Amino acid sequence: MKGQRLLGLGYLTPYIVGLLVFTAVPFLASLYLSFTSYDLMNSPRWSGIANYVRLFTRDRTFIRSLNVTLLYVFLTVPLKLTFALFIAAILNYKLKFINVFRTAFYVPSILGGSIAIAVLWRYLFASEGLVNMALGAVGFGPVDWFGDPTNALFTITLLRCWQFGSAMVIFLAALQSIDRSLYEAAEIDGAGKVRTFFFITLPLLTPVIFFNLIMQMVQAFQEFNGPYIITQGGPLKSTYLLPLYIYEEAFKKFNMGYASAIAWVLFLIIMVLTLVAFWSSRKWVYYAGDKRS
Amino acid sequence: MSASGSSSSLPETSPENHKTRTRTKTGKTGRNEPMKLSTTGLFAKLLAGSALVGALATSGAHAADLRMSWWGGDSRHVATQKALKACGDKYGHTIKAEFTGFDGYLEKLTTQMAGGTEADIMQVNWPWLPLFSRKGDGFADLSKLKGLDLSNWTQAELASGEMNGVLQGIPVSTSGRVFFFNTTTFKKAGIPVPESWDGFFAATKVLKEKLGKDYYTFNAVKETAQLLITLVVVQKTGKDLVDPKTNRVAWTVDELADGISFYQKLVDAGAIHSMKEDAAAGNVNLFEKPDWADGHIAGSYEWDSTYDKYAKPLKEGEVLEPVEMLRVPGAVTDGVYRKPSMVFSISKHSQNPEAAAQVLNCLLNEPEGIDALGTTRGIPSSKAATARLGQDTSKVGVANAIVMGASGPTVSPFNENPEARGAFLDTLEQFAYGQLDAKDAAGQIIDSVNDVLAKFD
Repeated sequence: MKGQRLLGLGYLTPYIVGLLVFTAVPFLASLYLSFTSYDLMNSPRWSGIANYVRLFTRDRTFIRSLNVTLLYVFLTVPLKLTFALFIAAILNYKLKFINVFRTAFYVPSILGGSIAIAVLWRYLFASEGLVNMALGAVGFGPVDWFGDPTNALFTITLLRCWQFGSAMVIFLAALQSIDRSLYEAAEIDGAGKVRTFFFITLPLLTPVIFFNLIMQMVQAFQEFNGPYIITQGGPLKSTYLLPLYIYEEAFKKFNMGYASAIAWVLFLIIMVLTLVAFWSSRKWVYYAGDKRS
Repeated sequence: MSASGSSSSLPETSPENHKTRTRTKTGKTGRNEPMKLSTTGLFAKLLAGSALVGALATSGAHAADLRMSWWGGDSRHVATQKALKACGDKYGHTIKAEFTGFDGYLEKLTTQMAGGTEADIMQVNWPWLPLFSRKGDGFADLSKLKGLDLSNWTQAELASGEMNGVLQGIPVSTSGRVFFFNTTTFKKAGIPVPESWDGFFAATKVLKEKLGKDYYTFNAVKETAQLLITLVVVQKTGKDLVDPKTNRVAWTVDELADGISFYQKLVDAGAIHSMKEDAAAGNVNLFEKPDWADGHIAGSYEWDSTYDKYAKPLKEGEVLEPVEMLRVPGAVTDGVYRKPSMVFSISKHSQNPEAAAQVLNCLLNEPEGIDALGTTRGIPSSKAATARLGQDTSKVGVANAIVMGASGPTVSPFNENPEARGAFLDTLEQFAYGQLDAKDAAGQIIDSVNDVLAKFD
């Protein structure tokens, strides 16, 4: 028994060491650094809450970037989840070559985060790109996707929504696990497709919607590649998400302490929103077999 | 292009040296620090023995183990390794090569500098000197090392490598911004390539009338827009952005506002794309734009050493020429933006600074290094190297000759400080999108850049 326990601990040790060295220590170190002034060349100098005071009282770029990030998350997450659920519902039908379609729709999420796709996006939505050419072919004028500060964030949002594959696969798995007898009962009672979707499918999907909501929200708050490659945060900081700001402060301006403070504010925002989502889940998430439901 | 993250070790040239090489906990080679590890007797004896011999071997400039780091493309990597081999053989040193592409080099160097594990010899971008050596104590003082013959550089060149009066980097080559024009486009319109800014605006008008409104005489985005404004202000005032005496912006609000208005004049005349148009096109590099390749954009203001980068993508029949500096009416100087393209520095933590200086001298001033390196880092600054390599008659050489022959004040490295440049460009963007007028933009730029400069007081 003792030997087995030691063996188990032996197997766990690499993970625990990795977690401590590569996650816990940097995590705590960044908390300490957020209360210092640190330029990498000299030792960190304790500055108390000065970084945080500057963030909320004097740094207009931070406020702008925070607003842009919140707008981006609130635009991206619902759009992406709706789209992923819509495609999953279609792919749940028994069609010919359905597995090919499922694979094809999943592929963008594998490629989506890559630099190459971000570059492709830049060419697609450029003033003389494919999208404007297509719009021109059906009689519309060209849209200034990147040059107009209002459109630029939306264009970046579309890139994120395009990577709906992972959320879609989870929705698809959940759709397939719904008991068919519920649909049969609804059909006998005369319920149409729309009614069945809203009164049977959707309630039974709420645990998965909740899971996807948390995961997508956390990922959206950390978005970097798209805006960095496509717009570099512009024009007029309209796509300047907080991760870009953290990167520039840390690695271009060497303000490690300040960058750590921004990272911690971002972490707290994500944590608070996650807690709110958990708290609200009691009202809208249905778990079969749960007495509260 | 580049061999990112690659490193290679040159063949050992000194068997004795091989025996003595040890590595400290910080990864540096050379003299051992006292070992605190619990070891077997044999291992301890070996270490003690190697430490003793190592200390003896590193006390002079002979048979040293060194490291050198740089960024670049493949041609530079190959040439530098060849040069290190030649110089290592000459003096009996072993030099480990650590090379990468430009992207990520600053982050790597910064991390190494922060941890005191930087290479003995480093290639450092000139504007980074204030980042690493604000007070002149970030690197070894090159003027105090015997092996380096500084008489191959002018006083002005040496001054550009000084921080706080201490020689922190030796200029490898000098680079500057120069005008490139697509002569084919101008020929098509039946007009000569402009020789002054007045001639430039007249040519723009004719170009648009004869070839179409989608033809542009010039390109000015991001850094190029900033440097173009800088050029105009310097030509009118004779002053660089930063006053070296006060370490503050040397220009008045009115002087900078004039430069910004000049930029707007270029947009209004249809000489360049507006910032909004460029953003809409997806912020594509000029040399990747189809409009550049086919001559629809007929000129730009770029580094002399980048001639090939801009000439090669042009379609067949399109010819790109470096031309003399265009001057505004009443200019007091050509306003050339000329600076050391990069410097070589020696680590202040090096266990063998004299040996490192010996290698550096070989690379820059001695036939073995000069022949192997050639012009892989631009036209060399060292007199010995230029004398040996002879006159460069390529277009890069012509462009460099224009830069070297033009007049202008000494350029401060703070022109390219990432934070100062960011502040300049952010405000310029606000101006370009109509959120600020020229005077407000100038005031905001001066205040922001002064805030950055104040950090270096």
